[in-house]
Amino acid sequence: MSFFSKTQNAPKSQAELLYDIQVRKERRFRANVGLSWLILVFILVMAFSGQEVTIGSKTFSGIQIDTEFMRKNLTFIAGGLGETIRISLMSIALAMILALLAALGRLSTVPPIYALSTFYVSLIRGTPLYLQIFFFFLALPQLGIILSGLWAGVLALGLNYGAYMSEIFRAGLSSVGKGQREAAMAIGMTPAQTMRRVILPQALRFAIPPVGNEFIAMTKDSALVSATGFVHELMWRSTKVGRAQFHNLEALIMAAMFYWVMTLLLTYIQSIIETRLARGDR
Amino acid sequence: MKKLLTLASLLVLASLVLAACGTPATEAPAATEAPAATEAPAATEAPAATEAPVMEKDMLAAVLERGYILVSTDPNYEPQSFLNTEGTRPADTKCPSDALTNAEIQGFDVDAATAIGDALGVETCFATPSWDLITAGSWSDKWDVSVGSMTINTSRQQVLDFSVPYYYTPAVIAVAADSGFDTIESLAGQALCAGVSTTYEAWLNNDMEALGLPDSSIYAAVPEGITVVPLETDQECAQSIASGRKDFVGYVTSETVVDANLAAGLPVKKLEGAVYSEDLAAAFDKSSTLDTASLLAKVDEVFTAMHADGTLSELSNKWFGMDITQAPN
Repeated sequence: MSFFSKTQNAPKSQAELLYDIQVRKERRFRANVGLSWLILVFILVMAFSGQEVTIGSKTFSGIQIDTEFMRKNLTFIAGGLGETIRISLMSIALAMILALLAALGRLSTVPPIYALSTFYVSLIRGTPLYLQIFFFFLALPQLGIILSGLWAGVLALGLNYGAYMSEIFRAGLSSVGKGQREAAMAIGMTPAQTMRRVILPQALRFAIPPVGNEFIAMTKDSALVSATGFVHELMWRSTKVGRAQFHNLEALIMAAMFYWVMTLLLTYIQSIIETRLARGDR
Repeated sequence: MKKLLTLASLLVLASLVLAACGTPATEAPAATEAPAATEAPAATEAPAATEAPVMEKDMLAAVLERGYILVSTDPNYEPQSFLNTEGTRPADTKCPSDALTNAEIQGFDVDAATAIGDALGVETCFATPSWDLITAGSWSDKWDVSVGSMTINTSRQQVLDFSVPYYYTPAVIAVAADSGFDTIESLAGQALCAGVSTTYEAWLNNDMEALGLPDSSIYAAVPEGITVVPLETDQECAQSIASGRKDFVGYVTSETVVDANLAAGLPVKKLEGAVYSEDLAAAFDKSSTLDTASLLAKVDEVFTAMHADGTLSELSNKWFGMDITQAPN
């Protein structure tokens, strides 16, 4: 008891006071941001509630939506979530492999390998993803390779993101100091060993957080895969029920909510991974 | 550092495992073909024996052998073909994983297609490629036949083979209810909408070659000086008007679609009189590596029998509330 009262009554040092102010400021900032978010979400919900709001002399009427339709089709549209995540995971795996290969190719001193890598990145980045998905679906059968809608989509997404992500991996590789390579050589490692044991591990730590960002972007671009009609993911399901039952808007709003929630979750996971990786910094 | 590498490689591994899990599912049809082969002799006897020993494999025989017929249909249209969101996929289905079973899709086209499957004694599965992929031909054997309310026309006949018609659809013009237009002629100089790659778009463009219909089934001339607005499907045209957009005053589509729009309470009205009538039939890909002739003959036989015994009229009454399976004069 006496111990407690003693610490409470003890006058705080200048540094402690300054620190407290800082903490309070930060807390107030967070609270205000949270409040603003609530207000923004409230405005968004009101905009879609179909209710009339009168502010001064002006009356705004909200967007009318049929909540009955939304309730009835919720489980059906949600059934596409798994497919969306599955496509994204398969595509990001392919993209990571391609990106790493393309980045290594970019650093190669062998002309054909360097050319192949730059050619791939240039061609893929120079054409729309939507077009690439149809290309793999329609053109490859002429070569005797018949891909299902799903695999055509995964191939297109993987190739596309691989090209964009090769820049990330290249930046990662070049972020490893020249001294590291020289030191590895000095203790007698072969170039392959240097790459595997010294350069790549350090480069990957640099590259993983941006890959998370790309993955989050990909979950949304995976909607394009439904264009061929064979992949029954979120977007496909919502457009089909929406069109057939004349409720495009409601169906798209539902898909939007699912994508948003999924993105929020993935962003959260991404931030955890990022802090984990930052711990290793010295 | 090691941890990191393990983490990264685990991520890649996990995704690859997921991908690998996906593979058997998509290859399932191939796997099921093997056990079916034991039944094949009995099933293929009748059709295959009568056919000349051509080099190409016969599609009818292939369908009987694998135990399901893969029908393409566009589930964007109620009541022709639309998803049954409450239906659950039967566990013992032979359908490929990216195709829908009879339980997951419904409508007039679906019932007509199922009748073909039933006549052959096989399961009917539904592939859902986007509409422009179906009409373009070159299906790369991804599905067997289209039963999707496709209008027979001359340009499609260059890439597709058609069965006998199973129903007929008059095409009409619908306009915004408050637009004040009452006749087809009064639409001169206005903007009109149609689904892209549909015959309605061809008619609006006055492209009679693309429309490819005989003169006797065309009832009205295209209004003069109109602007054509092609959207992805006819349904976007209707919804665009319903949402209050003014990009066009009306749209051309089948009478059944307009009736469904009206039933759903969309603020549109139907202009009196059909502009032309379409004969709708099942279609086969001319570039198929399988010989489609025997299956086409079988489909003709099934549709003719269904016209004769009133099954199609019954289905039409069930889905459209009227009989539209009688040929217009």
